[in-house]
Amino acid sequence: MRGKGLLAVLLLAVLLLPLAGCGFKDIDKRFFIVALGIDAADEGKGFKVTLRLAVPSPKIEPGSALSEVKTIQAPTIAEAVRLAKSHVDKELDFGHCKVFVLGEKLVKKNYTDVMEWMSRRRDIQSVAYLSIGRPDAQSIVKIAPKTERYPGNALFLAFGVDGTESSYSISTYLFDFNRRYGEHGMDPVLPLIRKDPQEGDYFISRIALLDKSKMVMLLTPQESQLYNQIANRFGKSTIKATIEEENIVLAANSVSSSYKIMSDQDGNQKLRLKMKISGLFEEAPLGIYEKDWHKLEQTLSEQTEAQIKRMLVKIQKAGIDPFGFGLKYRATHAGNDQTWKTWQKIYPELEFDVKVNVHVEGTGLSR
Amino acid sequence: MSRYFYYHIVLVALLNLMLFVPHILIQYRYHGAMTSMAISVVVGTGLCLMFMSIMSKYPGQGLPEILNRFLPRAVTLPFMVFMAVMWIIGPSIAVVSYAVLINRFINPDTSPILVLVLLCAVCLYAATRPTMTIIFLIEMGLVLNLPLIVFILFKAVRNDAINWDAIHTVANYWTQMPKWNAIGAASYIFTGYANLAVYNRAMPPNVRIRHRWTIPLIGMLVLALTFFVPIGFHGTESVDDYLYVWSMTADSMIMSYGFIERVIFVFLIMYLNLTLIYTASGWHQAIEFLKGLAKDYKPEIDGVPMKKAGMIIGAAIVAATVLYLYFFNEKITFRLSEYWLGFRLVVEIGTVGFLFVLVRKGKTRS
Repeated sequence: MRGKGLLAVLLLAVLLLPLAGCGFKDIDKRFFIVALGIDAADEGKGFKVTLRLAVPSPKIEPGSALSEVKTIQAPTIAEAVRLAKSHVDKELDFGHCKVFVLGEKLVKKNYTDVMEWMSRRRDIQSVAYLSIGRPDAQSIVKIAPKTERYPGNALFLAFGVDGTESSYSISTYLFDFNRRYGEHGMDPVLPLIRKDPQEGDYFISRIALLDKSKMVMLLTPQESQLYNQIANRFGKSTIKATIEEENIVLAANSVSSSYKIMSDQDGNQKLRLKMKISGLFEEAPLGIYEKDWHKLEQTLSEQTEAQIKRMLVKIQKAGIDPFGFGLKYRATHAGNDQTWKTWQKIYPELEFDVKVNVHVEGTGLSR
Repeated sequence: MSRYFYYHIVLVALLNLMLFVPHILIQYRYHGAMTSMAISVVVGTGLCLMFMSIMSKYPGQGLPEILNRFLPRAVTLPFMVFMAVMWIIGPSIAVVSYAVLINRFINPDTSPILVLVLLCAVCLYAATRPTMTIIFLIEMGLVLNLPLIVFILFKAVRNDAINWDAIHTVANYWTQMPKWNAIGAASYIFTGYANLAVYNRAMPPNVRIRHRWTIPLIGMLVLALTFFVPIGFHGTESVDDYLYVWSMTADSMIMSYGFIERVIFVFLIMYLNLTLIYTASGWHQAIEFLKGLAKDYKPEIDGVPMKKAGMIIGAAIVAATVLYLYFFNEKITFRLSEYWLGFRLVVEIGTVGFLFVLVRKGKTRS
């Protein structure tokens, strides 16, 4: 009986033999790709892929981040990545690649090929951040900010909630982008990373709106913030108004928004957007404490309403739906294919009824 | 003792992901998935309660013994072979698709066949143990894995990334006619009761399984999670593009401060455990059915030492499973799973109905 057991163990051990030398490569024989940029090729068809490779280093302190950048051109992205392997001495690993930058020119033309590649690769995380780079992806990926603690860290922090939380930028996960790409009644949005030519740095303050195949329009920083407040209910943001030629800025502590699509008596469809913003004054002329707060609230509300309405109409004219109004319509109407067709007819003529309710909590520390 | 029954229900309900149930339901999301799910709750619960009441009349006996009691061996033998085959296919699909999953997500450089051989070796060892051991194995496996699985599911439902409008949109399609394949897939959630066919041998007499009302609730909860959570994460359209829809859903979550950031790896390990337990339990039943073909076979729930027959039958099942992966790809596996799920429902309705009639007639005669 004992002999038999031993035999079984030996047999199992034999099964393990072919496992040796398979995929497990040591960490010091790997290059971790931390950011990947995809541009259209300089001339002709194809893609230019830029990889930022982290150089493993024992030091973790600001400024010590070492990385290498490789740029490869090929007719397809998959080929470019394969070709990249012949440029380096270590195995390429996408496991830590959390930021993908698409060149602005490429996105303006057509981004569908990039999507196909990304959703098929098994080692690309669904929680990677997607963004657009201006002037192109290559120059964004090449930037190595001085404050970086380890390679790629600055970009990760810019998008995640661990580091800075800017009301002017959004973070779009790959799975979210994919969802909006396919969805009937919701279109993709991506943050735009711009290179600052003087500082050799980048900043993210605008949101790009896309349709199902290309980029359609860019929101201004102001509008980007409004988008964030409406779609993501982003607190830690500001609203601005001009009263008697003086700028006043309210720092919002909490933002809530909800919208409904309803039809009035004449059968016209109307979107009613309600927002509640409350916060403290951050910038206002002295003496505001003595003024009638209710009036201030009203002015702030009215001016914000006008801004939002202008933005919504602009987006509507472009024929895109980044907020998912269409999906909302589908969610609240009968479940059949007709609903979606009806919505496509409704949206160009949709009227917006925006109600903003600003609540001033206080004037900050001074009167 | 009733907890041992519920372990089967929960194990099978959770394992629906490995048998492409969400994928099949999502395919029918605009064409009757909602109604099919509603019907399957009724049908599944009904079958479950009927089968429980039949088996509770024969404590300590499995389906083979009950059949032999009423029918001549010439009838029961082919029937038992048929049942064994049904019990082999499901777990084999699960373990095969898991081997492919490991190849896709964890280690693409190892051949799926090799992974499958290793997984099968573990399952073979477990499946050939006595019935009692398997029952305890299921209990321990679930107790160890369930907390983390519940945690992941909870994290998924509470996630900000879920788009409730998309879920609402799909739920609006409740007026469509149900489809058979969708009912088959959805009712799989309830099929854990069928494990009583063998494990009833370990049920002592005069045990009433309590809290039966939880069965439809467990089923509905699991169905809703399985179907709606991926739709919430991937929208009403893109959700259909993914081959491994739940793996992608797990990959869409992050635990920033967990020691592993990507939830998918925790998810895969948890489901590896569940798949191994499920396969071991399923194959064990198939082996027991086939062992029952022998004339002088006496069922034992705690038989020591082990009989050689089990090992031989198990090895044959493993060989068939490995050969299957060698010859067929994941596309065929998916089709097979869809048809097996639909056919399984027919077989279950047939078997439970037949037994019901048989038992009642048997009673009136005596």
